[in-house]
Amino acid sequence: MRRFEEFDPVAVTVWFFSVTGVAMFCGHPLLMAISLAGAVLFFVVRNGTKHGRSHLFFVLLFAVLALANPLISHNGATVLFVVNDRPVTLEALLYGVNSAAVIVGVLYWFRSLTQIMTSEKVLCVAGTVSPKLALVMSMALRSVPMFARRAKQVSDSQKAMGLYSEDNIIDDIRGRMRVFSIISTWALENGIVTADSMAARGYGTGRRSQLRRFRFTAADAVLMLVTLALLAVTAAAIAADSLAFTFYPRIDINVNGTLGICGAAAYGVLVLLPIFIETEVSLRWRYLQSKI
Amino acid sequence: MFVIRNRELRNTIRVAVPFVLVPAATFAGAVVFDRKRHIIISLAIAVMALLLFAAGFERKTTGSRRLVIVSVMTALCFAGRFIPFLKPIAALTIITALYLGGEAGFLVGAMTAVLSNFYFGQGPWTAFQMLAWGMTGLVAGIFAEPLKRKKWALLLYGALAGVGYSFIMDIWTVLWYAEGFSFKLYLGALFTAIPYTLSYAASNVLFLHFLAEPFGSKLGRIKTKYGV
Repeated sequence: MRRFEEFDPVAVTVWFFSVTGVAMFCGHPLLMAISLAGAVLFFVVRNGTKHGRSHLFFVLLFAVLALANPLISHNGATVLFVVNDRPVTLEALLYGVNSAAVIVGVLYWFRSLTQIMTSEKVLCVAGTVSPKLALVMSMALRSVPMFARRAKQVSDSQKAMGLYSEDNIIDDIRGRMRVFSIISTWALENGIVTADSMAARGYGTGRRSQLRRFRFTAADAVLMLVTLALLAVTAAAIAADSLAFTFYPRIDINVNGTLGICGAAAYGVLVLLPIFIETEVSLRWRYLQSKI
Repeated sequence: MFVIRNRELRNTIRVAVPFVLVPAATFAGAVVFDRKRHIIISLAIAVMALLLFAAGFERKTTGSRRLVIVSVMTALCFAGRFIPFLKPIAALTIITALYLGGEAGFLVGAMTAVLSNFYFGQGPWTAFQMLAWGMTGLVAGIFAEPLKRKKWALLLYGALAGVGYSFIMDIWTVLWYAEGFSFKLYLGALFTAIPYTLSYAASNVLFLHFLAEPFGSKLGRIKTKYGV
């Protein structure tokens, strides 16, 4: 019984890139509607009514993106009205709406991804590709708050020495530059000490371990296989042109035959997969509670 | 395992395969096959180039001192991204490349993009940002000698890198929005991005002007003192 975000980071990453991959590259209006609706639902299920400002931003972005296309593109057979001797067409408007759905949907997905995939999990995934790069990244991540602390220390001591004045802009900039210069020298020197210490403790002699242990269990394997199977069905439907569409000159959106329906349904299930898992977990949790 | 003995040749191949051969092949593929699939191809190139570079870096034996210095420079870039309007990332990437070589520059640029986007927002553009900032460093590493000797060349390179960064990112914007590449949209995107382009170029020039020499002497000092 695990929540979706507690699954193995590799399995979560595979699921995530399957969903966004189709959303970014397919462009079929039905799938885009599924993607956008699923992305918003997933974000709301995870965050509730918080983040009202980002929702507002996304609504505005959607409007701007949707309305930009009919102003630029004048293709299409159904003319709505004419501005400056240029026709504004229904097809171009709907094309803009579709593009906006793609972009806003993917942005919502990435919002959720950033919440789920903490930097620690990303380092775990990056470590499977290149342990050395993952090490450099984790050291850099750790250094950022450390620099902030040191900057405070240095600027405090500069102030105590009377070298730092804040009411004069030029002097202020000069003071900040001095602080930055001190921090970077300190960081570089300190880095060498760290490196020597690492070498003395045997860095690079054996396999490295991780702070938190992610074990790839049977459930992770099932999640990954289900994800890939659903993706395969959708990809097959797209590749076989069962999910075909054109906007210009006339809108023609096709879901052809069984394969087309299966492809769209598979994508729908793929998008809802984490919500199924979360619902299952909370139902089971409630059931266990009521038994106690 | 097949090993190329000549070091120069090996290094050339390591850079040429991800950044010249793979993009060229995929570009040819894009032209020959299907015009609608530009976006999938461009994202694939970016990811492939980055993965190949990572693989090459992984196989090479790099001293732990060098690794730590690269991570310190990445952290400084990351911290610098919080400065409003002026972004020192490209400038610091270029400085790293000048004194520690193109590969270190590439790593600093690319990793700053991926790490700082945890704060500033990840998206499909992360791969392009990684590539754009990474290439800024890699190219600076190739021309390290002339850039170190002539200050005006360095500042000019900084300005060009800022403009180039904006141009690359706008290609991505257009590909994402429209199916296939529309030149009209691209011009529009470039036009709306003019304030950003100017701020990139200006901050590169400004930071290179103020930081190149002091940072150069700091990195040079570390290099001679500890033999990185």
